[in-house]
Amino acid sequence: MREEKLERNSPRYLRGIHRTLTGFHPAIESVLAAIIGLLIGAVVMWLWGYDPIAAYSTMLKGAFADKWGLADSGAIAAPLILTALTFSICLRAGMFNIGAEGQLIMAGLAVVSVGFFSLPPGLHHVVALLFAMVAGAIWSIGPALLKLTRGVHEVVSTIMFNWIAHFLAIYLIGTILMNPRSADQTIPVPSTAIFSKLVKGTDLTYAVFVAIGFSLIIYFILWHTTIGYEVRAAGLNPSAARYGGIKNKRTILLSFILGGVSAGLAAAMILLGSSSTHAMYRLHGQLTNVGFDGMAVAMVGRNHPIGILFSALFFGGLNAGGRLMQLGSSPVPVQMVRLVMGVIVFTMSIPELARIFPAIRRYSVKLVRDLRQLGSSAGRRQSR
Amino acid sequence: MTSQRQNTPAEASKNEYFLRGEGITKVYSDGTVALKEATLEIHPSEIIGLLGENGAGKTTLTKILSGLLPPTSGRVVSPKGLVHFSSPRAALEFGIGMVHQHFALVGTLTAAENVALSHKNPFSRIQLSKATERLEALMEESGLHVPLDVPVEKLAVGEQQRVEVLKVLSRDVDLLILDEPTSVLTPLEVDELFALFKRLRNDGKSIILITHKLKEVQSITDRIIVLRHGEPVGDVPTETATTEQLARLMVGQAFEQEATAVDLSDKELPLKRERKAVDRIATSVLHVEDLVSKSNTGDIAVHGLTFDVFGGEIFGIAGVEGNGQTELVESLTGLRVPTSGVATINGTNIIGLDPRQIYRLGVAHIPEDRWELGLILPFTLAENAILGVHQWDEFKGPMSFLRWGKINQHVRDLMERFDIQATGPGAPAKSLSGGNQQKLIVGRELAKNPDIIVAAQPTRGLDIGSAQYIRDLLVEMRNAGRAILLVSADLDEILALADRIAIMYEAEFMTICSPDDLNREQIGLLMGGVKPEEQAE
Amino acid sequence: MILTLIGFTLRAMVPITLTAVGEIIGETAGLFNIGLEGILLVSAFAGAFGATIVGPIGGLAIGMGVGALVGLLFAIVSTYWKGTQMVAGIGINLLAIGFVEFGMIRFSSNAGAFSIPSEFQLTRLNTPFGLLSPVIFIALALPFVIYWFLRRTRAGLILKAVGESPEAADVAGINVNRVRLVASTVGGMLAGLGGAYMSVAWFGFVTKGMSAGRGFIALATVVFSGLNPILALVGGALFGFFRSLGLWVDTIPGFPIPAEFLQMLPYIVTLLVVSGVIGRVRFPKALGQPYKRE
Repeated sequence: MREEKLERNSPRYLRGIHRTLTGFHPAIESVLAAIIGLLIGAVVMWLWGYDPIAAYSTMLKGAFADKWGLADSGAIAAPLILTALTFSICLRAGMFNIGAEGQLIMAGLAVVSVGFFSLPPGLHHVVALLFAMVAGAIWSIGPALLKLTRGVHEVVSTIMFNWIAHFLAIYLIGTILMNPRSADQTIPVPSTAIFSKLVKGTDLTYAVFVAIGFSLIIYFILWHTTIGYEVRAAGLNPSAARYGGIKNKRTILLSFILGGVSAGLAAAMILLGSSSTHAMYRLHGQLTNVGFDGMAVAMVGRNHPIGILFSALFFGGLNAGGRLMQLGSSPVPVQMVRLVMGVIVFTMSIPELARIFPAIRRYSVKLVRDLRQLGSSAGRRQSR
Repeated sequence: MTSQRQNTPAEASKNEYFLRGEGITKVYSDGTVALKEATLEIHPSEIIGLLGENGAGKTTLTKILSGLLPPTSGRVVSPKGLVHFSSPRAALEFGIGMVHQHFALVGTLTAAENVALSHKNPFSRIQLSKATERLEALMEESGLHVPLDVPVEKLAVGEQQRVEVLKVLSRDVDLLILDEPTSVLTPLEVDELFALFKRLRNDGKSIILITHKLKEVQSITDRIIVLRHGEPVGDVPTETATTEQLARLMVGQAFEQEATAVDLSDKELPLKRERKAVDRIATSVLHVEDLVSKSNTGDIAVHGLTFDVFGGEIFGIAGVEGNGQTELVESLTGLRVPTSGVATINGTNIIGLDPRQIYRLGVAHIPEDRWELGLILPFTLAENAILGVHQWDEFKGPMSFLRWGKINQHVRDLMERFDIQATGPGAPAKSLSGGNQQKLIVGRELAKNPDIIVAAQPTRGLDIGSAQYIRDLLVEMRNAGRAILLVSADLDEILALADRIAIMYEAEFMTICSPDDLNREQIGLLMGGVKPEEQAE
Repeated sequence: MILTLIGFTLRAMVPITLTAVGEIIGETAGLFNIGLEGILLVSAFAGAFGATIVGPIGGLAIGMGVGALVGLLFAIVSTYWKGTQMVAGIGINLLAIGFVEFGMIRFSSNAGAFSIPSEFQLTRLNTPFGLLSPVIFIALALPFVIYWFLRRTRAGLILKAVGESPEAADVAGINVNRVRLVASTVGGMLAGLGGAYMSVAWFGFVTKGMSAGRGFIALATVVFSGLNPILALVGGALFGFFRSLGLWVDTIPGFPIPAEFLQMLPYIVTLLVVSGVIGRVRFPKALGQPYKRE
């Protein structure tokens, strides 16, 4: 209602600015969080004796300045887009699916198993992708069904499934899928299923189009079909959705399936694309953390497929540039990037960041007051 | 604290009053005026009945007195000076305790633990045995008995309420406020509770009893204050008050046949005369027989209702909220499954169907809670406009693709037709004012071209213009031959719009008749639970 | 053999039990902290380096302090700033991984691990079960203390009220946000002890992957325990047992069940418990929601 007042009483140009700002409002929050993250990263770097400016400039150059940097950023971004979508689709449906790690692992196992038979290229690609999608979906349905039939909180069940997948994979990689020539790995994905490089000398392959394409498909489903509409409605207001004749159970199930499919494709991105060995290691290291990083990407991308594309590129750039930063004039370990990511995500948990500053002051006054009371009452107890 | 309390009725004469509210006004953030310059005085050693319809401001006033809400303006004074309650605890320490309509109990804790919770020292180790002892003493004194070691969520509702009362009593309050306490009690429990009130009063305490039940308020109180539309309109000693007088105060002066009577100056209602004489269609659109439905807590909310709604009429259900109207509407719109009975739309059974199936039978539902049910606030106008009808061929293309072009056009039509003020179909629904939100919902529902419109509290919380608009719309629909089931706690609205009315009280219809058959007092009495036979001539 | 196994179990149980008990306190008050993993890691790290400066007890204390700090921060964001607890927790995890990895490279000669010289490690007692750290006894006793605290003191009641029905607690005059602040800080402190224990009193070194999912195991233990600290002890012991079993089985050639399946067992059991097969778990009604007064 305040906005309506603004609309009517302000001169034209102000109205335009206001509308743009509120339209981009969510993006501004992401940018703000990113800035805070980078700032804190800089502080830590400085405290520990590194040169943040040199580090950041090397990182920026490495990430975006040239074709190879961009390509590497994109290569890292591709699987992140997909795991971000996993989290994001389910969040749109009102669910916290943090099982991407596990779904990723199971899909990875499925992908390498296409090495057991031979097919012409093209077909082999498709089959590998299909295997990945189905495996991811299957591993995602478990928690979904537990939620729908037993009311099991999906956070707990997806974590459990993650760990079960973790151990199951170690077992299978050591036995059925083991590469006879290299006991530490699985059989490799055959060359007929591997995506060829898009930019030579980098990790970027044509697989990235799968990621972008899937992302667009999800966008269309969510905003341009009745099914997607129902998912979003049920996630925002289950009562109203019920009033509108939407079956909430169906939307939940669908979102988990799509999420699993997405995670599966992410595994495919890595094993068929950016990975150097195209095989899974016994402790499936290449897949570790891709799920959780995806969540960070999703949050910074405001849970929107388009936003996720940008956010993934940003995080991909951070990581790719980070690699170069290690070798630069003032070497900073690439692990700093994850620190920055963590701060960004944490900052994003505070709602309405852009409007937060007056609110922070208000609440902080209350907080300080309470803390002081606490201190004095603790003091009183001591003196008793 | 003890020095400030008046412990005997003899001392009461020393101080004129215990608490006085002066000019208390409360305006909520969405613009609703809940209280307008309310002034009242509370004396020690008396039982006050606070009477009024829904939305009269009773709960708001008491919440302000008990520290749960700050007033927008006005003040509360005591003989010692200005009183300002910043929190419920501050009010408790002053001596005011409130027993809410929806209990403030922690379900997993036992009664003893709940009572111990509200005591002063947060970090002291509770000796539960001591607390239990104290409670047992209190139970003897007050005559309220409750099992002390069972988690309260397992207790019956009546017992839970007793825990609430004990909780407040254990804090040694001087003013006890109870919000609709008897709505969950059996007659025997009510008697016990009232006996307790008398004892407390004789001990020097004051009690405010919020209720809409006329007989009750007359049986126990010393004084009755009536609120209407946020203002106190009457303050009478119970001895001299008659039920008719109370009813009149509650619902307003007798309705003048000419519009814009003094009391209704803030409303403009369509004159009955403006409505065309429409022949009622012979077959009913909605047929309900012996419908029984349970509420979420398992109580009977709809107790064997039987009625029909015909095309070309507005069937109004009047009554104070909370008497089963919500559950009735839910039962007829697919949001609640009745336990038994018959309900059909144009002959087709609707029991057990989900909302979308019911809509397809020609039903439109304007829900009573537009934020919880009617709209998805973060969604745009366009996205809300298709809620419930998103599967229609008009809006859904091949492969389930949504035809946004058509949808946006449809929304623009709605905006024009219903004068919905917004920046466009892409505006988020939460940016609209309440009136425009409701118009969106109404427009959406009417666009279904329904045979029957179920409208629950359709003008609640709306500004005058929007409310009037929607009422006119309903009349228009009626004139066009549709059936309308109107549920409203606003008696003026029902009387002005309905062709036939039913008055709902405690899960039943007190009567079904034409509004001309009864005068306002009689209606007020019926709404308060006084059966026709009991009304004095 | 049995004795060694018991010894394994006792040692492995500590971080999980401590963290779980801490989270029980937090969840009873309505805060769901998924960032336990991060707290464990960062306090293991801080404790390790702290020990080299101020000795083993100091190291433990520093670990506890770091944990408390993170818990406090989490609570501030979740209560006063009405933040989304899930997102904040995930942020903590990410942050911790990055911080620790970064710190390892910066401060340790070896990027992967930092060994604490033995004079800075906490002394261990020689027992028939093997070398046991005194912290183990704290971890054995604490669940009972907290159990008593939750059931029998007023503060425990207040915690429960705040988590179950903040509105009722507010009406009773309790400052909901302040209580949650305290609960989360204490919870973080316990997790911090668990983490510091790992580096200072158990392994004697800290690696970048040290937490190894223990934070999530603790969360699962909390679910398994139904918010009962004594059951959290049981759960922690169970996890510790199966972990040890798996490691031990790995050394036996020809054992019929693969070690990995044994290690899966705790998670499967948790799933069963949560699904109501074994017992209905009842969480505080207001878990995960920031409280706003109407």
